[in-house]
Amino acid sequence: MNDMTDTSNNPASTDQKLKEAYFTASQGQLIWQRFKKNKSALFGAWVLIILILSGIFAPFLTPYDATISGRDKDYLNGAPQIPSFCDDNGCSLRPFIYTSERTRSIETSFRWVTIVNTELEGRRYLEFFVEGSEYTYLSFDINLPGEALDFRIPGFTFNTHLFGVDKGMIHIFGTDSTGKDIYSRTLTAINTSMAVGTIGVFIAFIMALVIGGISGYYGGFLDSSLQMITDTVRTIPSIPLFMALAAFIPDVWSAETRFLFISMVLGLIGWPTLARRIRTHLLTERSQEYVLAAQLCGASSSHVIRRHLLPSFTSYIIVDLVISFPYMVLSETALSFIGLGLKDPVNSLGVMLQNVTSADVLLNYQWYFIPVIFFITLVLAFVFVGDGLRDAADPYSDSHK
Amino acid sequence: MSDDLLIEARDLSVHFPIRGGGLFGPAVVVRAVEGVNLDIEKGSFFGLVGESGSGKTTLGRALLKAAPISRGSVQYNDGEVQHDLTKIDGKALKDYRSRAQLIFQDPYAALSPRMTVRDIIAEPLEVMGLTSSREETDERVREIAAKCRLNLEHLRRFPHAFSGGQRQRISIARALVSGPRFVVADESVAALDVSIQADVLNLLKEIQQEMGLTFMFISHDLSVVAHICDHVAVMYLGRLVESAPTRELFAAPRHPYTKALLSAIPSLDPDAPNIAQKLEGEIPSPTNPPPGCKFQTRCPYATDICRKEEPKLEHSSGEHEVACHYWQDLMD
Amino acid sequence: MTRLLDVENLTLKFKTDEGLITAVDNVSFTLEAGEVMGLVGESGSGKSVTAKSLMKLNASNAVYDERTKIVLHLDDGPVDIMTLKSSKDLRVVRGGAISMIFQEPMASFAPAISIGDQMVEQLQVHTDMNAKRAKEVSIEMLDRVGISDASTRFKQYAFELSGGMRQRAMIAMALSTRPKLLIADEPTTALDVTIQAQVIDLMKDLVTEFGMGIVFITHDLGVIAQTADSVAVMYLSRIVEQGTVRDVIRRPAHPYTKGLLAALPSLDDLDRPLTPVPGDIPSPLDRPSGCVFNTRCSANLGAVCSRDLPDFTTVADSHRVACHLFNEGAAK
Repeated sequence: MNDMTDTSNNPASTDQKLKEAYFTASQGQLIWQRFKKNKSALFGAWVLIILILSGIFAPFLTPYDATISGRDKDYLNGAPQIPSFCDDNGCSLRPFIYTSERTRSIETSFRWVTIVNTELEGRRYLEFFVEGSEYTYLSFDINLPGEALDFRIPGFTFNTHLFGVDKGMIHIFGTDSTGKDIYSRTLTAINTSMAVGTIGVFIAFIMALVIGGISGYYGGFLDSSLQMITDTVRTIPSIPLFMALAAFIPDVWSAETRFLFISMVLGLIGWPTLARRIRTHLLTERSQEYVLAAQLCGASSSHVIRRHLLPSFTSYIIVDLVISFPYMVLSETALSFIGLGLKDPVNSLGVMLQNVTSADVLLNYQWYFIPVIFFITLVLAFVFVGDGLRDAADPYSDSHK
Repeated sequence: MSDDLLIEARDLSVHFPIRGGGLFGPAVVVRAVEGVNLDIEKGSFFGLVGESGSGKTTLGRALLKAAPISRGSVQYNDGEVQHDLTKIDGKALKDYRSRAQLIFQDPYAALSPRMTVRDIIAEPLEVMGLTSSREETDERVREIAAKCRLNLEHLRRFPHAFSGGQRQRISIARALVSGPRFVVADESVAALDVSIQADVLNLLKEIQQEMGLTFMFISHDLSVVAHICDHVAVMYLGRLVESAPTRELFAAPRHPYTKALLSAIPSLDPDAPNIAQKLEGEIPSPTNPPPGCKFQTRCPYATDICRKEEPKLEHSSGEHEVACHYWQDLMD
Repeated sequence: MTRLLDVENLTLKFKTDEGLITAVDNVSFTLEAGEVMGLVGESGSGKSVTAKSLMKLNASNAVYDERTKIVLHLDDGPVDIMTLKSSKDLRVVRGGAISMIFQEPMASFAPAISIGDQMVEQLQVHTDMNAKRAKEVSIEMLDRVGISDASTRFKQYAFELSGGMRQRAMIAMALSTRPKLLIADEPTTALDVTIQAQVIDLMKDLVTEFGMGIVFITHDLGVIAQTADSVAVMYLSRIVEQGTVRDVIRRPAHPYTKGLLAALPSLDDLDRPLTPVPGDIPSPLDRPSGCVFNTRCSANLGAVCSRDLPDFTTVADSHRVACHLFNEGAAK
């Protein structure tokens, strides 16, 4: 095994291989290596992936539909039902929860009271991979003027959910005042917020790339005028703007259209910061000596942009995008919270928080705040990953003087 | 233009306007290069020395059409084509680019960190369309890399794997791959350690002799220039003050600035007599040069004539030219 | 001559992701008052780190060996810098008994505070002068270093001064507290050669007038030859040769010193070809075992050089060299 004559196990040659790997590693690979060494960033990345996946697979992971149609009429403002394995009546391999009933009788002075049945027959066992409400992925319904041009892509429909109970419904995070399952709503809210964030960041990025790119590459008068426009847009106060826009949105618009509109507006407000960053990167890169070297060979602008400028700031832009994501999510949350953003049935954290402002909720139904923990985790994960990426992409770490 | 000359420049000037005239005061112009006449012979190693603010880098770039020529003429003739650099553009400029290249000073900034060495060296070939296939490109890259003493395995690596001296060799390879006739080396060894500097200088000399190139070597380091150049021109505040074959310039400098420059170089002999003519003062600002001779503010021999009239570059002997009113009187 | 500084067994390593990197290995030297000692080396030699160690100015991941002793002999008695742990203790030394000037003067003056304010602040921290007296002393110093119109310059900002003047202002600031020891880290490297000559003259005058010791770090052997009394040559964290400037430069013993001198272009002999030291400086992560120079040494004796660290051998009075060629029994 550890044959002394086996040169491939020779520490000197493994060392050589490592060094050679370092020498031939491209910039992207080097950044990835550095990123991997950063424990908090790596942890943040895992958390982020888990949250994003749970958002994408929300319909599968949650037992019920997050809208009104999935509500539990018998369990309004219900407390979280945590499955357990054992209780006074013995243990069971299958986790179970208790049935709760709302009754009203003489004993309770005719007030509605929720009684939890902890007897053996009150147990409701968890089942896995149950059939439930339907959900569809990748289905598009295009409505163009003229009947002949309408078409729809049916997409994929499933109805399996990860878990459910044999009788009634299970609410592991409790329910809200109309009986909607908070757990289901939380995961779909993550999905919605990520979608809003993605569209917003995407729009902001395209605009920032065009405007910041032209500004940074050409400089001079074009740069100054574009910068004036950028600064003007940046100083528009967002809350009054949204109030105006919210008043402008016609009621007839569906929730989905409203959702798209809000995302677009967030993107249109968010581009100035990104544009400024792109412009700065370009201005720095443009004056690098290797760019001049290419120009002295007679390279055209498109060659310089393609071969030198774009690759050089890809890593920075990715960092900027990752860092602006949480701002989009938080802006949307704030707007929906004050009622200017999304509305039911489209569901996001802001929408869910609309109902927490009464003392009743604060005192009695604290489980309404569980989604907040998810969102703090999401935003923090983005921040850790963004910081880690930025540290990894640090340009000063590979010049040895 | 004589057949031996590769580059002939007459009254070459490069001005950069900082501010137009008008409301805020008179127009401010930086006269980086002013009225320079020089001849560069084919196959020679031409040295251009000066301190900071002398305009030597700008002059080098102007000869490559990388800085705008405000006045004067520059003719290029390598025996195959002729170009008038003041009127060149479009296709002619592209052709000139393949014949005239630049080696930068900073080996760390001159190479794109995101490209492999092979791609960096191949870039001029690809941009100028000088090869027709990838194999041909690779072949030429390998050839020039070998000449610059780079191993084949180096071609797959990225610049971060190399030291300053090695990076400079990559820079040189990139400048030479397109087969230029004229190479400007702008302070190309200034950022290197002494032991590596000698190596790179020897390489440049070797390549020049092997490939029959003409080099213009810009430097502030007179000792380096003395060893490697055939002919040296000295610049001060945008003007050429002296120009002579190397041995002659160093043995018998005629301009007071050149003399002061030479005596300021610290000798390796601890007991060398301190013959230094220490120059007082600093170089004037290029936006507001003094009238007359630009050196008069620091020249120990300046007289009224120097303060009024700017001396022209005139022949003193053979190929030795000086721009000073009193060069004859000051001859040792 | 009174002893000013005793450095014994200075060993410094940096903690990095890749492990402990040795930056300075077992460096020892002494300095008398009024003496200028040159610390010469190329990049990676550890000369800057050594200088910064004298004031414990290195980064927080620096690890000093326990045997390191840096003893500064002040008027009140000797102080071992290694025993000063907190910034408060070190503040007495930094800027007070020891001053430092850097290569890039723009980097050591705060850009938004006038030069005068910074000089006054330094004086007030280290002495018990009041503001008025501090201002007087500062203007005197500015004048002493050759800055004309000192009282106007006192109110100016760093960017308003030219390179040479900034360097002089930095010298003025460093010397205003009358330090016993001045550390000059490449003070003339960024200057034009004519300005360099002025600054070197200034420093020599001030040494005589103030009776302080200077540790002069540079890669330029010519400057050392003209300025220093003694010199230590460093390579990859170790001192390879030490002695008076005359001994080391005229009769270099170590192959590296000889190689450096041979690689230097010198105006005294233009016909001599430049011979570089072969190979490249190894990365500090890749320190050769045995003698640190053995991988590039043309006089490599084989096994002993790559296995054993050479001890110092005295070649003449204070001239010693660390090389196996000089150890007893190594002669073949």
